[in-house]
Amino acid sequence: MALALLALSGCDREERLTRGKPLPETVPASAAAHSRPLDPRAAAYEGNAPAIAQGQQLYAWMNCAGCHSHGGGGMGPALMDDKWLYGGRIDQIAASIKEGRPRGMPAWQGRLTEQQMWQLAAYVRSLSGQVRKDAVSARADEMSNTPPMTQTRREPIEKEAVTP
Amino acid sequence: MTRLVAIFGLMLWLSGCAGVQNALGGDGSEGARFVDLFTFFTIICTIMYLLIVGALLFALSRRRRAAHTVEGRRHHQTSAVVKPVLVGWLALVVVGLTVLTVASFFTDRSNAADARNPALLVKVTANQWWWDVEYSPGDPSKTVRTANEIHLPVGVPVHVRLNSNDVIHSFWVPNLAGKQDLIPGRTTDTYLLARKVGLYRGQCAEFCGVQHTRMALDITVESKADFQRWYAAQLKPAAAPATPLELAGYRYVTTRECSVCHNISGTPAGGQVAPDLSHFASRRSIAAGTLPMGKGNLYGWVADPQSQKPGSHMPTVGLEPDELHSVVAYLERLK
Amino acid sequence: MRPRIVGISAIAALALILMLVAWTLLKDRQPTLGTRQLAQPGQVRAVPASAAAPPDDGNWTMPAKNYAATRFSGLNQITPTNVSKLRLAFRFATGANEGFEAPPLVVGSTMFIVTPWPTKLVALDLTRPTGPPKWVYDPKPARPARGRACCGPVNRGAFFSNGRLYLNLLDNHTVAVDAATGREVWRTKLADISSGSTMTMAPLVAEGKVFVGNSGGEMGVRGWLAALDAGSGQLLWKGYTTGPDSDVRIGPDYRPPYPKDSGRDQGVNSWPPNSWQIGGGTVWGWVSYDPEQRLIFYGTSNPGPWNAEQREGDNKFTSGVFARDVDTGMVRWYYQSTPHDVFDHDDINEIVLLDMPTRGGRVPTIVRPGRNGFMYVHDRRTGRVLSATPYAHINSYKGVDLKSGKLITVPEKHPVQKRVVRNICPGPAGAKDWNPSAFSPVTGLLYVPTLNICMDMGVFNANYIPGTPFVGADVKMYPGPGGNRGAFIAWDPVARRKVFEIKENLPLWSPVLAVAGNVVFYGTMDGWFKAVDARSGKLLWQYKTESGIIGQPISYRGPDGRQYIAVPSGIGGWAGAIVSEAMDKRDPTGALGFSNVTKDLKKRTPTGGSVYVFALPS
Repeated sequence: MALALLALSGCDREERLTRGKPLPETVPASAAAHSRPLDPRAAAYEGNAPAIAQGQQLYAWMNCAGCHSHGGGGMGPALMDDKWLYGGRIDQIAASIKEGRPRGMPAWQGRLTEQQMWQLAAYVRSLSGQVRKDAVSARADEMSNTPPMTQTRREPIEKEAVTP
Repeated sequence: MTRLVAIFGLMLWLSGCAGVQNALGGDGSEGARFVDLFTFFTIICTIMYLLIVGALLFALSRRRRAAHTVEGRRHHQTSAVVKPVLVGWLALVVVGLTVLTVASFFTDRSNAADARNPALLVKVTANQWWWDVEYSPGDPSKTVRTANEIHLPVGVPVHVRLNSNDVIHSFWVPNLAGKQDLIPGRTTDTYLLARKVGLYRGQCAEFCGVQHTRMALDITVESKADFQRWYAAQLKPAAAPATPLELAGYRYVTTRECSVCHNISGTPAGGQVAPDLSHFASRRSIAAGTLPMGKGNLYGWVADPQSQKPGSHMPTVGLEPDELHSVVAYLERLK
Repeated sequence: MRPRIVGISAIAALALILMLVAWTLLKDRQPTLGTRQLAQPGQVRAVPASAAAPPDDGNWTMPAKNYAATRFSGLNQITPTNVSKLRLAFRFATGANEGFEAPPLVVGSTMFIVTPWPTKLVALDLTRPTGPPKWVYDPKPARPARGRACCGPVNRGAFFSNGRLYLNLLDNHTVAVDAATGREVWRTKLADISSGSTMTMAPLVAEGKVFVGNSGGEMGVRGWLAALDAGSGQLLWKGYTTGPDSDVRIGPDYRPPYPKDSGRDQGVNSWPPNSWQIGGGTVWGWVSYDPEQRLIFYGTSNPGPWNAEQREGDNKFTSGVFARDVDTGMVRWYYQSTPHDVFDHDDINEIVLLDMPTRGGRVPTIVRPGRNGFMYVHDRRTGRVLSATPYAHINSYKGVDLKSGKLITVPEKHPVQKRVVRNICPGPAGAKDWNPSAFSPVTGLLYVPTLNICMDMGVFNANYIPGTPFVGADVKMYPGPGGNRGAFIAWDPVARRKVFEIKENLPLWSPVLAVAGNVVFYGTMDGWFKAVDARSGKLLWQYKTESGIIGQPISYRGPDGRQYIAVPSGIGGWAGAIVSEAMDKRDPTGALGFSNVTKDLKKRTPTGGSVYVFALPS
């Protein structure tokens, strides 16, 4: 009985950050993109199942699917392959979302909170199979599209290439 | 006899429960019919129960006959009274069940009759964890969109069409009618006919996620004239900011984080995935019944929604104090 | 004796049965790609409206060839007997490799090319054999505009008039360029990309005015057609597609042919409050002009968002055809082909001005292949529908009631929120998208590049954020019955039936050219430029260009007197997005559903961006 209680008490695999860390106590995403070490927020969001789930909802609500489809691309580049114009690390993705990019990616700074941008970045990472399979959603919220993310092969991300 | 009176009295007392979320309220046609049916069932079943308990007590209280008395054949025969009692009991049960079935049938039929000629169509779409309400009067340019509240004219049959944008919810206004599920990909219906003017509370009745308990509905049943007045006010575009503080709030709300989710008619804020805020300040509560509408609660909600309703989709933006003041001032303008 | 008769008759019967089976199996076994002759061309022919289709002068000054939009060249040097000898005269590589939709224009001895993105205008000297450039106009459209174009950063062409070239830029500018020097004469800004608006259509210049329209029906953009003064570029008027009558420019002269399209302020009343402001109805396709009636004709795009549950009502004046006065822009008549469109069936396809033979003489009509799969013939004076005949496989509409003008829909095929509806034909690109057909007055046939594509569609609540897509739909397209994704048909507009049909493996996204020598030209998405017999559809000649063909072929008389054929080659646009946007084919909903039906395209064609010019050996 005691053993069972002990075991159960350690149950949470990850922390669900409801309030996030909205004020940038750490270095803002954009500056972190080109510096090492990795922004400490990356660890909090990468592979965090509630963050990825929330990112999946935001991906639909913020019309990301309208340009990037469900990873296949269209008006915007594909997000499920191994080609990253502005870097495929979670902090680089968050920076692209925040600042916008010259060829048409809108800037979401001021329209999404930092937490929401990191949640989206965590979800985008999962589209190319970068994330642990037990943290991703197994099904789409709408019409089934790509093969389930729990079976997505991990795409090798190119070395940080930053195209102007 | 005294017991019956006591039971009746108890039920009368219970039905007198003034409550905004009272299943025995009977303030809507369907609700009232179910309360009547419930009362009828209770009476019949109580009578049956008392008869059975009475028979049991009687059997327990009878003196035991001496086992060794020999009275001829009658020794192994059952008492002359048992057989007719059993037959009578069987008849009583059959009649009782038939009566209950017939009563139930007539209640359902009356409810269905209500559904035949609805005068108003309200489309309710459930989301996690708020209600999207749209009035569809037939002329598309006269549709009204609001959230987390329904106004109903008294005595008018209303058709409520139910849908869901994510998971299964359940629409339940205890005073007015029974529960009806809202299932994604499927349209369900319920019919309301409010009989008494008043304020009522509805609640999501199907577990739908972490904030299922804070997914309530404010129902206002009012006279036809009041309802028309409310409807006409809802058709108008959102009120324009009147003071410099409100103007600053308008600028923030319509261009920043609020605008990508919320819709305020007549402004650049056109988001469709969160409650419509065009006439937000005229509502009784904030965030689907989480907090009563009021200045303090509004400040608390806008400043940090995640502390009030953790896990809901409204993020804690981290507004600066002057931004917070201006946003709340503008929201209060949206009557 | 008996057993022998029985035995022989049994064998005979068996043989008969086997022959019957063999015949049944073989009779439908046509080659997957081949020409099917269905009927003979009729004896009575329609003719192009004479005022709108002047005799050919050997030039090609506007994308549609003339105001009647026949895309027909009167040059008759190239015929079925000699077309197989066509040789490449020269090839001009633009250096850009996005979708190449604009036709080259030829005026005298100069060819003007609108390159793929980023748009430039190049003038080639045709007096020299390799066609070297004379000048280049580089307008430098704003690069972020690319992220607002739903279906590729394309440009559908320039218009030559009075020594100037008129062109739209993706970032919502219209420019006038001096054709001799390449210098910009004026530039007018008409909208801002922050609203999601872009401009991709080819202007129409008539009566001293430049008519241009916007794109963005998938971005929640409110559509309009604007008239600019050709001399100064000043905006004269804008006729909106939605909103109050004063914005739409409807006045007392408005005479719709059907009661369903009449009423005051329909551009507001047929929408939920405020939805019309983000309701689409953009004007990104073709404009035709009738100089006799002084009316311009054009169609409007789908309403936005694709999720129709968010916009109850008929959604006027989207998915319909306007006839406006060329001087004032006031609407003379309007017909809504697809009220409350639920499938993205725009109405911006080409409108051909033909005079049709009737018992009493000739009726002035417009003939247009609708996106919804019906070939519409209207009386162009009143807009009344004379016929609406299906020219492709349709299962989502039952027909058009000619008395009321109403489109009869199939309710089971309507998308419902959060539920997927399957096997809807035609798909969102319709039975034919923007790529225009050509009409030959010699054969009397309309040559139409059609699609044979069906779809599964699921709709959900679309969120409106300015500058982002406002769609609310997931689509998966796939080939229709037969397995071929395209079909090139010859349509007899008088007899109202197909004369021949050429099944194509890939969807047909290429416009058509017809020449007087009875040859018809079109291209395929894997780069084959084909010449077929205009009467029989027999394939006479084909040439493999560097990339898929989605641009208008033209024909002109060169400085040496020979007839030349020119065609742009460069895959892109909505159908070619999987190649031009380097998409990932594992997502079938990519490119608004086109990915699924063009999964093999990457193997068949790379990107490109060249103009190929052919001629017979001299």
